[in-house]
Amino acid sequence: METFKADVAIIGAGGAGLRAAIAVAEADPTLSIALISKVYPMRSHTVAAEGGAAAVTQAHDSLEAHFHDTVAGGDWLCEQDVVEFFVGQAHEEMVQMEHWGCPWSRKADGRANVRAFGGMKIERTWFAADKTGFHMLHTLFQTSIKYPSIKRFDEHFCCDLVVDDGRVQGVVAIEIATGDFKLIQAKSVIIATGGAGRVFRENTNGGIVTGDGMALAYRHGVPLRDMEFVQYHPTCMPGTGLLFTEACRGEGGFLLNKDGYRYLQDYGLGPASPTPVNKAMELGPRDRLSQAYWHEKQKGRTLSDPRWGDYVHLDLRHLGEKKLRERLPQIYELAVEYLGVDPAKECVPVLPAVHYTMGGITADALTAAPLPGLYSVGECSSVGLHGANRLGSNSLTELIVFGKVAGVEAAVYTKSAPEGNAKKINMLAEESQRKAMSFVARTDGTERIATLRREMAKSMEDGCGIYRMNDTMQATCDKLAELKERYQRVQVDDHSKGWNTDWLLAIELGYLLDVAQAMAHSALNRKESRGSHQRLDGYEQRDDANFLKHSLAHYAGQDAPRIDYGPVKITSSQPGTRAYGAAGEEADRKAKELAHA
Amino acid sequence: MPDGKRIEIQVLRYRPEEEERPVWQSYYVPYTDDMSVLQGLQYIKDELDGTLSFRWSCRMAICGSCGMMVNGKPELSCQTFLRDLQPGPVRVEALAHFPIERDLIVDVGEFVKKLESVKPYIIPKEPRKLSDGEYLQTPAQLEQFEQFSSCINCMLCYAACPQFGLNPDFTGPGVLALAHRYNADSRDGGRAERMEILSTEEGVWSCTAVGYCSEVCPKGVDPANAVNQNKVNSAKDYFLRFLSPKGESK
Amino acid sequence: MSRYAAARKGYVRPMQGWWRRDPFFMRYMIREITAFAVLAYAIILVVGVVRLAQGEVAWNGWLAALRSPGAILLHVVLLVSMIEHARSWFEIMPKTMPMMIVGGERVEGSTIMRTGWAVSAVVTVVVVALAWWARS
Repeated sequence: METFKADVAIIGAGGAGLRAAIAVAEADPTLSIALISKVYPMRSHTVAAEGGAAAVTQAHDSLEAHFHDTVAGGDWLCEQDVVEFFVGQAHEEMVQMEHWGCPWSRKADGRANVRAFGGMKIERTWFAADKTGFHMLHTLFQTSIKYPSIKRFDEHFCCDLVVDDGRVQGVVAIEIATGDFKLIQAKSVIIATGGAGRVFRENTNGGIVTGDGMALAYRHGVPLRDMEFVQYHPTCMPGTGLLFTEACRGEGGFLLNKDGYRYLQDYGLGPASPTPVNKAMELGPRDRLSQAYWHEKQKGRTLSDPRWGDYVHLDLRHLGEKKLRERLPQIYELAVEYLGVDPAKECVPVLPAVHYTMGGITADALTAAPLPGLYSVGECSSVGLHGANRLGSNSLTELIVFGKVAGVEAAVYTKSAPEGNAKKINMLAEESQRKAMSFVARTDGTERIATLRREMAKSMEDGCGIYRMNDTMQATCDKLAELKERYQRVQVDDHSKGWNTDWLLAIELGYLLDVAQAMAHSALNRKESRGSHQRLDGYEQRDDANFLKHSLAHYAGQDAPRIDYGPVKITSSQPGTRAYGAAGEEADRKAKELAHA
Repeated sequence: MPDGKRIEIQVLRYRPEEEERPVWQSYYVPYTDDMSVLQGLQYIKDELDGTLSFRWSCRMAICGSCGMMVNGKPELSCQTFLRDLQPGPVRVEALAHFPIERDLIVDVGEFVKKLESVKPYIIPKEPRKLSDGEYLQTPAQLEQFEQFSSCINCMLCYAACPQFGLNPDFTGPGVLALAHRYNADSRDGGRAERMEILSTEEGVWSCTAVGYCSEVCPKGVDPANAVNQNKVNSAKDYFLRFLSPKGESK
Repeated sequence: MSRYAAARKGYVRPMQGWWRRDPFFMRYMIREITAFAVLAYAIILVVGVVRLAQGEVAWNGWLAALRSPGAILLHVVLLVSMIEHARSWFEIMPKTMPMMIVGGERVEGSTIMRTGWAVSAVVTVVVVALAWWARS
């Protein structure tokens, strides 16, 4: 097997991976960086993010406000010291992106513009039209070209980590075009592989969002934290699940049920004002909006179509074509091209779909995993920022704030870590190769990849949906155990060496099943409702006494994962009620009164 | 749910480990009115023939992975709908003007190298500390380059460009548009360095203004405009170099 | 030989007959060919100037040649080619121009095309009027 040596290996070249690579290169240009990605960097799913990236900017805004919005939005499951750090670093990182050329939308005076976003008290979301993720990704990728110490391994698929002597020693990757295996030996490895939304049936995610890095770390003993918290984005396209950005609502869009009624006011998010009010109505947090949809559906007040099932209406007509084309051009295109709907004239059909994985690889405040030498950043990571529900526009900022931290930390670690045992490392890499090759070698398999994947996705949708119940979650856990067993007999059609995407899909399916299991078991065991994990089986309330703690899923091979718990770091914000709309205003007013008393 | 309609999708297969040349293969795919060509290909891979390889990811025409020839035209398969191609057959082939590595996958390594070669990053006109905040850039200044920054690197323009097809050394529409994006950005001062690449035979001067690139671009980047307006700049530089001691006009 | 040739891997499809593969390319080739019409007419006019310099007899001979049926047919063909030449060049003209903002609004490609046609129309009218006035 061909071996490359690098000081830092980064798996994933999306926003987080690229930012980490640049951070290592700037921290110490003499360090060699291997940036490994199964797709070309500009295809990473960061590209699809639309709405914006949050950072305290306006004079009347404050770090405390962003902190409080995030912690409350996360239903107090956030690591508050991490959130404090995050809100303090955000603005500088936005400016850094701007210096690198990111085409932020501007105010007339030339300063970066900010817009309102769900769950944020004050406008602080920087945006680049409605393609913020696209522009951030391309800016980072193009900027990374400046640094000769970054060596990219484009279209290389990671099939294993090399772990020896109780620490990470490198990565085993498959060069997709040739089928050749490569060992990238590195004393520090940063995982930035994104989320795992593809375990669900309807999702906004690209095909590549399959939880690869999460599974790799998980299989080597790193617990996956808070996996039950999966975000349903309230406004997605029926059929495909493609995203209609939250900015549609930030710009003033309404959500209407089949009677043309703005139903969110019935769910504690009112009153309904004609213009957007922060943290109220359509600018409430995503979990509450998705839950409201579910209730409307139960009441039979959603619309229906034989092609897609149920949906509601996103009304953007009152914005007018000019504003739509200027502020939401991509949304306009998506509605017209994929649905044949002109948003300036008709309502756009939308429904919630899985969008983001709040949980992930356990990471401390400096992005380090419990396994020495391993770091994780971005959606694959649980650094403690989002808690039980993520606020929109916090995750793009997360990529660059913690991308930098991960790079800096990995650079420091790699310099002090001792050299690995080359012979042992090679042996472990060869073993990983054999395991990966076993899929292609098998000729007597009886299961189709697509069948197992479909059954998993349907089961996850049923059991780990917007509202959860013990029986359906248990059924999903049982189903996943069955699927993992059948997976051992999966048959790959393609036996070629080069560009064997069938083979890689089989390996990805393994990642998906392991991650799905962590999600389902974590959900079953959390006997409360918090943030995006809501139950209807006697555990409808938040239970701080017993469950103000993080779920930790530990890999147990073919068996179900072992779930235990870890403490939540509280600094200044004690768990309170998440209040939005008029109730939120009232709560804020009372809090201010108390503060002055 | 499929309602019994089927469409024939013919795919140009190429398995270098099994055959010397590409070969057409037919599949019959059940479809609904909202299905894209990409979804058709996914059906083939999932249910009929797992050996079919193609690139895709986002499904929403922003990642640029799924470019291919559909009925002879460069398209993003995720944004091309089977309902518009009835009654079929739909002929799907790898993106034109690139060597085929396998099935619908072309070798794009040279495109990426070209992209890296035009210094596609801000070379600041004036230095600025992070603590000084963002560079000021008015909406009018942003408008000068924003369109050219929308390129998703899908390479449909390369498949449309006969000059690139005839001469693979041509830098090509997409990369030249990206170079222009930086030249036109008010924060950037690297125009002279990039003009060195733009002004060569493989730069703007291989372009004969066919204009098909802009026609096929799914994002309205208008690379033909980026390339052709730089012919004027290149000519200006050429003649003005006699005036400036360093041979560059600013 | 392309400097990228050594690095290229994969099956290279031939470019022969590329311009027949798509109506867009056919229209492009027609545009390029109309340049020969311009060249042809330029030669006719140069010959006219030379004949003029050679004296009245030569000049009248040239005019007579232009009135022959063959010449008139040629002129019709050249006129059609010139119009297509103008049309296709006005179509591509916006691509050669930098972004123009007039009164806060972007100048559209169609505006530039229409301006081209408008100028052509004015020039045509002026030239025809002059020719009519000078025909005596």
